[in-house]
Amino acid sequence: MAGELESCKPLSGLLSGLAQDAFYGHPGITEELLRSQLYPDVPIEEFRPFQAKMRGILKSIASADMDFNQLEAFLTAQTKKQGGITSDQAAVISKFWKSHKTKIRESLMNQSRWDSGLRGLSWRVDGKSQSRHSAEIHTPVAIMELEIGKSGQESEFLCLEFDEIKVNQVLKKLSEVEESISTLMQPV
Amino acid sequence: MEGSREPVLDAKAELIDFQWKLGMAVSSDSCRSLKYPYVAVMLKVADHSGQVKNKSFEMTIPQFQNFYRQFKEIAAIIETV
Repeated sequence: MAGELESCKPLSGLLSGLAQDAFYGHPGITEELLRSQLYPDVPIEEFRPFQAKMRGILKSIASADMDFNQLEAFLTAQTKKQGGITSDQAAVISKFWKSHKTKIRESLMNQSRWDSGLRGLSWRVDGKSQSRHSAEIHTPVAIMELEIGKSGQESEFLCLEFDEIKVNQVLKKLSEVEESISTLMQPV
Repeated sequence: MEGSREPVLDAKAELIDFQWKLGMAVSSDSCRSLKYPYVAVMLKVADHSGQVKNKSFEMTIPQFQNFYRQFKEIAAIIETV
């Protein structure tokens, strides 16, 4: 039965399933589901430690956000270990990480954000031209709707009104942020 | 995140204060090597009854760039109206 586990065809599918469960929070990806879909001829007692090993490897790679050099070194070490992986399996894992790295990383970033995120932004500019108290005024206003929400929760909509002065005040603050970002991103 | 829908004509709130923070997420229990910068914003807004509330949210750097770009667009338009 070890031969079954060494076969690389279903490994790619297994890694996808493990990623769905561990990183994307997809419900219902059970051990039995993975086994029956991908390794139907392998008994559960053999499948369990195998998938645990693959899950562990995937989590280590994601947790360290390995670049390709680190990945190669790590996987090579895994092939040399007692009870490790084959070099064919290492190749499948390497290919998987290279194509899924960005998406998995994004998922991990979202998991660690506990404040609301900005989900949407729409705006328009109105030209107010009359009011009850003045005969005629021309004060343009910007109306902005911010859609914010926490992971897995419904959005909250915030509708704000800005006159020209306020727009420029905020703009000044945003340019301060931009400056900070430039300083942060400067190569050390 | 472009002007995707017309803002509804609800009671609009007024922005009293805008505070920001540039942070760097270094590590978490699910990822030891996060290393991503983010912009955290705290808005102080007053609704039509005068009640003041704090609203906070985070943006990734690309999200912030988009936010900034849209504000610049608003400023350019509001100047010409």
